[in-house]
Amino acid sequence: MKRGRERKKETQTTSSSPPAKPKDLTQTLPDSGGMDELLEVLGYKVKSTDMADVAQKLEQLEMVMGEDGVSQLADTVHYNPSDLSGWYQSMLSEINNTGSDGVSSSVDFDITLPGDASTTMIDFSNNNVTNGQQTSNMYDDDPYDLRAIAGGAIYGISSTDESLEDRNGIKRMKSAGSDEIIDVPPESPRPVVLVDSQEAGIRLVHTLMACAEAVQQNNMKLADALVKHVGILVASQAGAMAKVARYFASALAQRIYKIYPRESLEDLHMHFYESCPYLKFAHFTANQAILEAFAGATRVHVIDFSLNQGMQWPALMQALALRNGGPPAFRLTGIGPPQPDNTDALQQVGWKLAQLADTIGVEFEFRGFVANSLADIDAGMLDIRPTDEEVVAVNSVFELHRLLSRPGAVDKVLNSMKDMKPKIVTIVEQESSHNDTVFLNRFNEALHYYSTMFDSLESSALTQSNTLDLEMSEVYLGRQICNVVACEGTDRVERHETLTQWRTRMNSAGFSPVHLGSNAFKQASMLLALFAGGDGYRVEENDGCLMLGWHTRPLIATSAWQPGSVVET
Amino acid sequence: MVFMAASNEEIKPNEAKKVVPLHTWMLISHLKVSYNLLRRPDGTLRRELAEFLDRKAVANIVPVDGVYSFDVVNRTTGLFNRVYKPAPLDNNGSLHRLATGILDFESPLSSSEIVPVIIFFHGGSFTHSSANSTIYDTFCRRLTRDVQGVVVSVNYRRSPEHRYPCAYEDGWEALQWVCSRSWLVSGKGRKVYVYLAGDSSGGNIAHNVAHQAAVLGVEVLGNVLLHPLFGGERRTESERRLDGKYFVKLEDRDWYWRAFLPEGENRDHPACNVFGPRGCDLAGIKFSKTLVVIAGLDLVQDWQWEYVEGLKRFGHDVKVLFLEKASIGFYFFPNNEHFCKLMEELKRFLKG
Repeated sequence: MKRGRERKKETQTTSSSPPAKPKDLTQTLPDSGGMDELLEVLGYKVKSTDMADVAQKLEQLEMVMGEDGVSQLADTVHYNPSDLSGWYQSMLSEINNTGSDGVSSSVDFDITLPGDASTTMIDFSNNNVTNGQQTSNMYDDDPYDLRAIAGGAIYGISSTDESLEDRNGIKRMKSAGSDEIIDVPPESPRPVVLVDSQEAGIRLVHTLMACAEAVQQNNMKLADALVKHVGILVASQAGAMAKVARYFASALAQRIYKIYPRESLEDLHMHFYESCPYLKFAHFTANQAILEAFAGATRVHVIDFSLNQGMQWPALMQALALRNGGPPAFRLTGIGPPQPDNTDALQQVGWKLAQLADTIGVEFEFRGFVANSLADIDAGMLDIRPTDEEVVAVNSVFELHRLLSRPGAVDKVLNSMKDMKPKIVTIVEQESSHNDTVFLNRFNEALHYYSTMFDSLESSALTQSNTLDLEMSEVYLGRQICNVVACEGTDRVERHETLTQWRTRMNSAGFSPVHLGSNAFKQASMLLALFAGGDGYRVEENDGCLMLGWHTRPLIATSAWQPGSVVET
Repeated sequence: MVFMAASNEEIKPNEAKKVVPLHTWMLISHLKVSYNLLRRPDGTLRRELAEFLDRKAVANIVPVDGVYSFDVVNRTTGLFNRVYKPAPLDNNGSLHRLATGILDFESPLSSSEIVPVIIFFHGGSFTHSSANSTIYDTFCRRLTRDVQGVVVSVNYRRSPEHRYPCAYEDGWEALQWVCSRSWLVSGKGRKVYVYLAGDSSGGNIAHNVAHQAAVLGVEVLGNVLLHPLFGGERRTESERRLDGKYFVKLEDRDWYWRAFLPEGENRDHPACNVFGPRGCDLAGIKFSKTLVVIAGLDLVQDWQWEYVEGLKRFGHDVKVLFLEKASIGFYFFPNNEHFCKLMEELKRFLKG
């Protein structure tokens, strides 16, 4: 087994290097995938070959965008602002097609802000739809310290050396033998958010890190000593960092002593749903995309890859019920794992939803499928009806990553998804890289991620009286931590990957993105402001997807897809 | 493509595109068009649309091009500072391999060398952008790498939701925070060698914080103002000459002042017209040396020259870097001579 070699770095990082010499103004830098690199670094995607063309569109837009144009454009729905060409084009089309219907040109979505002249309020409980619209109108003192952890040696490694490209086109490094320290750079950026950085807690994190590194090097004696030391340090700490540290220490201990945790029994989903906005955001944004896809359909079929308590569906059903022209017939297929006591949990959820459907006047059909793995389900079992009769949406919230624990499973499921002939596929996943082949990288990523999660929970705690939900949410997250750190192979199911990684996978599997727009963004932001408790939550738009984060750290990402390759325009 | 003028404005040929480098032209025009969508005539802003359109960058403690960053949030205010540091080098000048890779909050930046800490206030006319906007994250990374110092970018509160003096208060808070970090200390003097910097409205904030620091005896080693945002009631020659020519209309400038200044105030408020009829008295205080960068295509330049004259009148050290052919936002891209001149001048200023 070979170590990653030190890449010979250019001198650009030394202080004595001269500044970049002025270049020919029209020259663009070597591109990455055809995109102009200078603009890409700033978050904008423009093909180098298109620069002049896009500049021209921008000029035209400036010229035709008078005062009337501005108010019209400001109130339409915008998509994917990174794609400058597409964005300018959509606005140009908008102005040239003044008077077209199907566009929400007269509705001001803005919530009342101080000094805000508009006073339109949106009724969140009913997801009201206004007339004439097809699309839905539905928008230092602290006692603890969050220490940041930079990963283990991360410099100077060429990622093209000795990398394996797995089936999903994601490069991986071979893992080291027992004595070697891994010099492997993490695949994704490691965004660290510290809150009121204090001195206390340094040693705690330092010790956790050192312990993880000892485990990586297979030095279990050292790891054992360190994990015990963490236990002592944690005893004197309070707050989010201490809680996180306890879970990580416990997970490390289990890994060291090879006491692998059994699959947990109690479903803590509801508590997590209640105590913080992540699941609500996931459901809300996915539903937005589904609603738009269902526009005009008379029969719809949602396939939910992890039904749980079915909390996502009442809101969707209500929105459908209030739709202009009346609701479609709504069919729900819910998939879930077998229950230890053999109760039919899925049917119970189906029954409750059926009762709701009855009260709001939506024709409803439910079918539950018990499966150990999504890979056990294929489209043929699901009674897929012809696409001109029924529109299908496939929905997966925090479920797809589990498939990565078995080779071939995710590919099989993505193929089955195509057989389901969905108009839209909505996916919500944790925005973090917890599936690196190198244990230490996984550990570091997870430590940052869950520190931020716990921190956000603690903030939410300040505005809640129900501490049970909060405590159970911590246990819920703690289980994930344990799985990421202590388990391996098919037991390690919390194999979270980033949006970038999922994008690659979905593109390879033959799906193209469906962009979430400014209306979904706006309403998600407003919902957070009203219901989130703790005002550190932020919504961010990322190339057509929406992410929810705590302060500057995105934590979950919602994306939407349709079968078919990306069309080059 | 057929288009019609939607207003009574004459269609001016786009001079800007001939003079301004293509990338800069595209970015600033893009921002202009985006911002047009956000401002309402009644002085309010479409804030959610603004956040939707703004491109954001995450911090990254994995060094990229020799710079890493992390965010520190103030739990009480919900505001954050983004800290950029050059990745440490070992004795051979290669990237140092961190054994444990922990962010160090115990050691000083250096016990022998002086390492400048630049507190940076991003621009956006007090209204737009954030410390984690990609355009500013990228600029701060380049700045960190080129000066080999620490940059702290402040996410101050913006108008119209938060008017004067909120941004100044947040700036002051940031200065105090930076000065009290033991891990930003360097040199034999064992103190934080702090500079203030900002572009556009950020430059205005930097001046204000520097003023406060001078009055209260907090040492700031220098200010760097990148086409800072100043103004006044009367119209200057550059405002009349350049109105609407290079991305900015005077009426837009007026909108932003109305959104920032207290309601009912005019542009001769001292926050705007620093040395005007209601202006500041900087006599007898130890005001930090200042570098003012003036862009020749910026309609605000006459106010910037007046600012320079004002500092001189009070006997304070001020230098001007006049970039005759530069437009606003010239520093967002490194592929032009204006950017290079800026960095060279900055390095000289920080060493001097």
